[in-house]
Amino acid sequence: MFAAFAVFMSADMLLWLAVPGLPGLMTQFGLATLLTAFALLLITGLFIVIKLIIAACFDYFSARQRLKRRLWFNQSQQDRLKQLFYFRTLQINYFNELKRKRLLSANNRQHIKSLSKAIDKDLHSIKQQLSKKTYLQLRRENIQYRDKQDADALLKLQQKIATIV
Amino acid sequence: MTTFKSWILTLVKLFHSVKDENLQWKKANQDQQVKLKHARVLAAKTLEAELKKRSVQLEHELTLLRTKNNTELSMFKTKCKQDIKDYKQYLASLDQLKRSIQASYKHLPEAVAFTIHHHAKHLLNQMWEAKDFEQKMQHEIQLIKFMTTVHEDARLHLEGATTEKLPERTLSLIQQK
Repeated sequence: MFAAFAVFMSADMLLWLAVPGLPGLMTQFGLATLLTAFALLLITGLFIVIKLIIAACFDYFSARQRLKRRLWFNQSQQDRLKQLFYFRTLQINYFNELKRKRLLSANNRQHIKSLSKAIDKDLHSIKQQLSKKTYLQLRRENIQYRDKQDADALLKLQQKIATIV
Repeated sequence: MTTFKSWILTLVKLFHSVKDENLQWKKANQDQQVKLKHARVLAAKTLEAELKKRSVQLEHELTLLRTKNNTELSMFKTKCKQDIKDYKQYLASLDQLKRSIQASYKHLPEAVAFTIHHHAKHLLNQMWEAKDFEQKMQHEIQLIKFMTTVHEDARLHLEGATTEKLPERTLSLIQQK
């Protein structure tokens, strides 16, 4: 590269000195040198890159790196197993709680139904003392609270009927 | 021209002297270089052996962890199943409690029986949902006390020991809450 610049400089000087023919030749020579320098630079670069790639490949498949990767894989497996255990426990707990809630709501439904039946029976026994509108209203409320599974409202309704009696 | 020649010769001499010095240095430090190479190879081998050992150890730990997790999970599942079974039994015994109080107090309003049963269920759920062992024990004691009172009221009324129309002691326990 420096040689090419030196040749260019000499060509310039020859041009300045007005030597005929030689500057053109020198310029041609300078260009050829410059291009050769660039080609050499490119080839060296490519050679270094290929060498680095080959070295990286060898390093990647070397026993040490393989063992390291295996170790990391095992470590991640261990972490995964721990996480899996935690989430499986959560899942079992969740389904267990769901099952218990189902049992509870089935039991609640059964007892609310029997309370509603008792209220209906009470209502029927005082049917004569009530106007048709009140009777129907109370009956509707009973059915509505039973369907809503509202135990407190049913107990209040039962108290209300007891005060009417 | 002679100056140029001598300049070139100096350059060549300089190049040769540098090469000589390099060779001399290599000769002088050959032992150390060999030692360094050996040490490097040895360190690599040691690291490989260490990594291999750690990997085998970790694989063994993994197998152990897998077995331990499986055992613990199956134990936990069994415990959960047992919990559900216990809860079912508790619910059945509370139903039985309601039936027994209704059987003793023939004219007991359904609302009162329902309230007693509902309160017992509330105590049961409190016991079940308590996170702390001490709290769980406290709620269990409360539930047992309540069930005992209900059974006692039913028994006394059945034997004719009381003339009360309602299980007063049970109701007062509910009101205490």
